[in-house]
Amino acid sequence: MIRETLALTKRELLRLGRNPQAIVTSLLLPILYLVLFGQAFNFGNLFGGDSAAFVPFVRGAPTYFSYFSAGMAGFVAVTATLFIGANVIFDKLFGILKRIASTPASAASIFGSRLIAGSIQPIGLAFLVLGLAYALGHLGLSGLQVTAAIGPVAAVQIVLAVVILSVMFAALFLAIGFSIEQPQTYFAVVNAINLPVLLTSAALYPWGILPGWFKTLASYNPITLAVEVIRLDLFAGAPQYYPESAWVYLLGLLGWAAAMILIATLLARRALAPRQ
Amino acid sequence: MDPRPASAGAIVTRDLVKTYNGTVRAVRGVSFEVPPGEVYGFLGPNGAGKTTTVSMLTAGLEATSGTAVVDGIDVRKNPATVKRRIGVVFQESTADGDLTGRENLELAAALYGVPRSEVRGRVDGLLERMQIGDAADRLAKTYSGGMRRRLELAAGIVHAPRTLFLDEPTLGLDPQGRAGFWKYVLELRHEHQMTVFVTTHYLEEADGMCDQIAIIDHGAIVASGRPSELKDRLGGDIVTVRPVASSPALREVLAKIPGVVSVGEQDGSLRLKCSNGEALIPAIVSAAVGAGVGLQGVSLKRPSLDEVFLEFTGREFREDEGFSATDRAVMVGRVRERFGGRR
Repeated sequence: MIRETLALTKRELLRLGRNPQAIVTSLLLPILYLVLFGQAFNFGNLFGGDSAAFVPFVRGAPTYFSYFSAGMAGFVAVTATLFIGANVIFDKLFGILKRIASTPASAASIFGSRLIAGSIQPIGLAFLVLGLAYALGHLGLSGLQVTAAIGPVAAVQIVLAVVILSVMFAALFLAIGFSIEQPQTYFAVVNAINLPVLLTSAALYPWGILPGWFKTLASYNPITLAVEVIRLDLFAGAPQYYPESAWVYLLGLLGWAAAMILIATLLARRALAPRQ
Repeated sequence: MDPRPASAGAIVTRDLVKTYNGTVRAVRGVSFEVPPGEVYGFLGPNGAGKTTTVSMLTAGLEATSGTAVVDGIDVRKNPATVKRRIGVVFQESTADGDLTGRENLELAAALYGVPRSEVRGRVDGLLERMQIGDAADRLAKTYSGGMRRRLELAAGIVHAPRTLFLDEPTLGLDPQGRAGFWKYVLELRHEHQMTVFVTTHYLEEADGMCDQIAIIDHGAIVASGRPSELKDRLGGDIVTVRPVASSPALREVLAKIPGVVSVGEQDGSLRLKCSNGEALIPAIVSAAVGAGVGLQGVSLKRPSLDEVFLEFTGREFREDEGFSATDRAVMVGRVRERFGGRR
């Protein structure tokens, strides 16, 4: 079981690594958001250039861009995991999944390997986005300002947030990939999910300007949960604006991931079982 | 090798049925037994139920009813055990194009649980044997059709299975590619006493490579046996005698030769059905000379599987490919010449 899973994970990673265009495409949208949207909407300018006045609206982040950068680190988990679901569809079309399913490899290892491989790439990309956001500040643009001292606990929390969020979306896209046969349908479904998930999260919006009902909606969104953890750990002023500790948000995120893994496992098991 | 009664077939099915959606009967009660170490061909046109049968035997598709036992294991009860014991090469190309040939085989070895210490040796050995050693570290998507097929065959046997299933394995290959593929299959069969179950809609493959064949049409086996037996069932060879002039006397004389089953007439020629035409030709010529009838020619035609198919299904067999009869003859000849067959 472990050997099968590792062998299949290696296969997925080799494939992902040999198709760098997927990595570039995953990064494109978050980078565009960072260098265009984030720069243009750096709301601090609304207050006569006094970013500090805007701090309560972005829950203790030093600038809107800093707040927004953490949001993009969460969003990249969505854009980078959708390929793992698409790969399932292509593997079905090319008979590769049928061949793998014809071997003694268990459904759990076939699914598990894709979940692991699908989560690794977005974890790296999320930190790349944060690094880029930080670097932009040294290139004469708005950049990510880290105002908290990041200790081991904070570092672990940030990594966990990115990991769990990536696993959750990888499971979601695998669930879709295992239940759909055609690439066109897959991408249509994925597009119908991506934007609503982003737009109902607190990745983009300053929390302070959101209406109450939107805050309720956004607070259950998995991207929000992960992004809250990152913001809590990156910005010294943040904890006073958040009702819960980072662990609570992580727990909520874990619930999302567990539910998604359960659903995806069932769908994968059904797809890999002998056909009726 | 596991102990197994000598009489047990490597693959045994009884009344195997597959019905889709409760109405479409793709396989209608198929029963057959493949002796260990034989190459068993499932011959039939597209849509006859060949792939459905293979899918049920390889635990990829649940049978609606009936039994299927592979290597002594009931496929319906223990699909996981069967998967460990068999090798499968699918109809479609399933080599992973984004992996190298070597990586494809290493993955297959890991999935089939080949001991780690043996993986390298086996993979290297198979790559060399299948003549893809030079391309071992190239991505499989750069391989030719024949190379991919050989790679897929290697992936199907990396764990040294006792039973190998090949579903239309040479579909889309040119005659050389087919000859190459069959060369390896027959070699492996001889070396490892591997049982090979192959579906094909190429008559020349069924005839030239298989020890036994079953003709499947509309989901049912309409005839089975050794290719030579099936052809014999048609009444043997056809000897066509062309007299210089029509002669009722010649017809009577020929009908009396022992071994001649019947004499018919077609376009001025006499068609003799006989069990062993080649041996009878001298007697036929002597009889004509004795009757004082000059002959323009005598020709011998052995019944082909085309005729067997026509006989049992009432339809002509259509192969959806474009290579010539010469190509087929060359291919079968090459493989037979080097590796023979057990017949």
